[in-house]
Amino acid sequence: MSYKQLDSPITAKLCNLLVEAEYGDLASRVFSILARHGRQTLAGIVRASYFNGRQIKLGLVVLVQQHLVFYSSTDQRVTYYEINWHQAYALVRIGKVLTLAENRFGKKASNLLSNLITLGHARIADLKEAYFPSSAEKSAADDHSDDDDDDDDAADDNPDDSRVNGVNSSNGKISDVQLNGTRGVERRKSSSSPPEDAKPILNLDNDLEASYLNGYPPTNASTTESKVPQANGAVDPTNSANDDEPENDWVQSTEELYATIYHLMRQGWIIKVDQMQYLSAGDLDAMARKEITAEEFPNRPLTGPKDKTRLEIATVQRKRRYREQWLQVPYFESQSDKRKAAGVNEKASKRLKINGTYVSRSESAHSVNSTNGTAYPEDDLVIRLNHEKVAVAMRTEQLTRLVQHRLGFSTAQVYRTLLGILEVNLARCYEEWPDPVPPPQDGIDVQVEPHFLVTARDVAEKIDPAIDLLDGLDPKAIVKHVGNSKVVEDTRLDPPINPFQISRDEKTKIVDVHMQLLQSDPFRFVIWYSRAGYSQWRVDFEKIAKATIELEIENTITARKGPLGVKLIRALKKKGKLDERQACNTMMMSAHDIRGTINDMVVQGFVQTQEIPRVDRREAKLSIHLIWYDLQRAREKLLYDTYKGMVRIMQRLAFEKEQVASLLQKAERTDVVGNEAKYLTKRELDALRKWKDVENKLLLQLYRQDELVATLGDFLGPLVTI
Amino acid sequence: MATPSTTVKVEGSAQPAAPAESPAPLDQNRADQLYNKCAEAPEGTIFYQRDLSSMHVAETTSQLTQLLQELVDRHLMKLMISDNEPCWKLRSRDEADKLRQLSPEERILYHHIDQEQNKGIWSKALRAKTNLTAQALSKCLKSLEAKNLVQSVMSVKFPNRKMYLLKHLQPSEEVAGGPWQSEGDFDAALIDTISRVVESYMQKETCLNLPMDWNQYPTSDRTSAIARKKRIQNYPTALSVRNAIMSMGIIKDKNIAEQDMEQLLEMMVLDGKLEKVSGTNYRTCITSREVESYNGFVDAPCGNCPVFELCGDEGEISARTCVYFGEWLQTESEPVY
Repeated sequence: MSYKQLDSPITAKLCNLLVEAEYGDLASRVFSILARHGRQTLAGIVRASYFNGRQIKLGLVVLVQQHLVFYSSTDQRVTYYEINWHQAYALVRIGKVLTLAENRFGKKASNLLSNLITLGHARIADLKEAYFPSSAEKSAADDHSDDDDDDDDAADDNPDDSRVNGVNSSNGKISDVQLNGTRGVERRKSSSSPPEDAKPILNLDNDLEASYLNGYPPTNASTTESKVPQANGAVDPTNSANDDEPENDWVQSTEELYATIYHLMRQGWIIKVDQMQYLSAGDLDAMARKEITAEEFPNRPLTGPKDKTRLEIATVQRKRRYREQWLQVPYFESQSDKRKAAGVNEKASKRLKINGTYVSRSESAHSVNSTNGTAYPEDDLVIRLNHEKVAVAMRTEQLTRLVQHRLGFSTAQVYRTLLGILEVNLARCYEEWPDPVPPPQDGIDVQVEPHFLVTARDVAEKIDPAIDLLDGLDPKAIVKHVGNSKVVEDTRLDPPINPFQISRDEKTKIVDVHMQLLQSDPFRFVIWYSRAGYSQWRVDFEKIAKATIELEIENTITARKGPLGVKLIRALKKKGKLDERQACNTMMMSAHDIRGTINDMVVQGFVQTQEIPRVDRREAKLSIHLIWYDLQRAREKLLYDTYKGMVRIMQRLAFEKEQVASLLQKAERTDVVGNEAKYLTKRELDALRKWKDVENKLLLQLYRQDELVATLGDFLGPLVTI
Repeated sequence: MATPSTTVKVEGSAQPAAPAESPAPLDQNRADQLYNKCAEAPEGTIFYQRDLSSMHVAETTSQLTQLLQELVDRHLMKLMISDNEPCWKLRSRDEADKLRQLSPEERILYHHIDQEQNKGIWSKALRAKTNLTAQALSKCLKSLEAKNLVQSVMSVKFPNRKMYLLKHLQPSEEVAGGPWQSEGDFDAALIDTISRVVESYMQKETCLNLPMDWNQYPTSDRTSAIARKKRIQNYPTALSVRNAIMSMGIIKDKNIAEQDMEQLLEMMVLDGKLEKVSGTNYRTCITSREVESYNGFVDAPCGNCPVFELCGDEGEISARTCVYFGEWLQTESEPVY
């Protein structure tokens, strides 16, 4: 079973709460049935619930559209459903996804992603339709958006009305599910050209959800934000598509829409939707295995371990190949036109190689019903967000923060630039399906593919020129490379150097000094590779990920048991299994002082104990008592505790909300919104403010716990310990 | 003292039972004379026969032997063998008096303990050598301890063994552990003090305090205009730290070997005070933990909750009724009845 499929009641609970918060009661009830009962057929779900088949189907529609369930119809007669808890967990991350995307590709791209997430997946033509609607559908869309927000809690028992974020719950045709996302976008239309009466509703959304961190739950907030004109300061310079546009957060033209989608696909943030993505890990494995068996061993049964290994290797290879296919960027006719016309995007095309070869052309039929702009063959392409890529971006941010904490701001910015260059080439944080035989371990002579290497010169060219690169360095190292200054009194530069006017070569050398700092840190943030481009570096993400997991565990222990607990963990990590006396010796402390800590840590599950009898009778007195520490165990323990912590936060949030429910109802009334001071009493206003503080505080911790989950679970596969 | 004593073995076979009584008065005078002469030499001196004969107290060699035998009998001198040559060492008169008052068993025990010098001898080994009963043994040892002749220490190597050695001796490292240990346990105060000294020394060696205006270029960025520590590429080793600490003269009457310092430095790495850069080099960690913030989990109430494992979705202990959440958010939790 895949590591990502590890399941436990607490994660099921957490996912269930997330689904409920995001997609309402019906979807979450169906989800919870699947979570509790495991793989089920439709009939099975009906049996396990108080719903009828029609209602269940409506729930499943939402779940399938959002990729929250897997389904497999390998058996022709019946379809099995199974939860996709990883996707469900990712719901907590949506706000973060948008922030990350915005920092990298600008507001328009993040806006696009926000819509895409709301829809689960979408046909490009439908997205286009949503952004630039044909006038005929407009009025219907407005109606839809109206009642959507009013029916807060009343909708619970009425699936037809339930607030599922506009996914087409009202028509209930299951045949529509997979590729149809149009209905869901309709609400977006209202925000792009809002009618009079829709305005207050949207404002309400804006107001309330502004308190959500980074737009979580983001589905509504992002659209309303888009109306507010804001200076578009944070556009990544790499984003060639958006650079020349006027400052606006909303995609302005169909060309721009295509360009943004194309760019995001090339960057790996958007992938194609494939039927296979609906297969659970087990089904996918079975399918690959079946294919391989049919191809490689057509007429004979598998015999012996040799065949078995061959099958294993071929299977994971096949699975990797499936996955690479999803990442391939098809040929975009719109983009080729644009390139021909404007000659832009040349720079970006260099990066294309890594995502695989061009697919000659989208196989599907041309879409002809497009009402505006030109129709392109890629209109029929169905796309979705790539969560693996999000993890890569999260890792970049986390590592930057870590470096900043350890080595200072400038070095962190150098590192971020370096990681940014690498990020394009990293499809995922770790290989989920590695070859059974691991590749040879790092020796002195490691061959690394060139796109995983970054030179000091690359960084010097790419880094934001507003960053003072001299900051954070030893003045003596600076004068070696820059200008004619001298170091006076060991510390002062004389004459001072303007950090923003150093030549390119000098900059490269200064970047190299930062790299040295990164290398000499115990985390070994970078590893020297060659002298190309002044100095060329690689990053051993696996080791760093392991070290950050260790760091988080140590942080947790510090918070709970202070420095002594951490010392114990480190001693055990360094020395392996120890008995009490050896532990004392290593830590240079008396047994009396550490005994209590050891006990507490054993209870908390961070430290394991082992008893080895020295005589046959296994007397406790005559046995050797060892304590030891296993990173993987501690990691899992902390990870599941964190999931549990997240569940508690969400439960508390619901409780707190319950306490102020009547007040919120009043505050959300359309006539009150915007005129709070007029209609609410002072006490109510205070209570409202307090509720927002409480909500903020809880959501902030939820967000930070998700960061911890990412560190512990998403950056590195399971650690194998002997 | 240190150098000869390593080669000198205490003569084991002599001294079985009670000393012979009363030799001639003349001899006694002469013996005292010899003793006094020897006492003029620095304490701990070891006398060979040639040294004693050159004192011109005895007339003949046989008389000298006689005198020495007498002194040994009176416990004023201790017979030892070095390089197959007999030699003698002086005991103080007080000590000799005490020894004279010992019972025979005690004297044998004392002898055995004395033989082991600063290595000490395990009480069980003593019993095996002397064939005494356990009660007799413990009684004798107690009385020896009461007379301030021997001391017992806990062995570091075998924490449940009581090792006996003479009162005036420092237990060897094998028994008492390195300089960081005292009385069989780590000397927390000493370790703490020295590690603090080492820490500040390392900081001086591996860090540079930059003043605010290190690069007096007008900059709008406030963060770069703050005095702060920078690293310099000079990482001390265990040996250099040891030398520096010893030269500071903080540690008296204890010698710290390179290994001892390495042990301390390794421990400080575990403590997170130092970082190991390479095989033998260390440097300080420059990480600021000004803010009390660890990670999302432990900063929320659940991370430190004593009843976390008991907490459920509903029931008496749940998120709704949680007092810690209530405290943290300053809201009311659901009361439990």
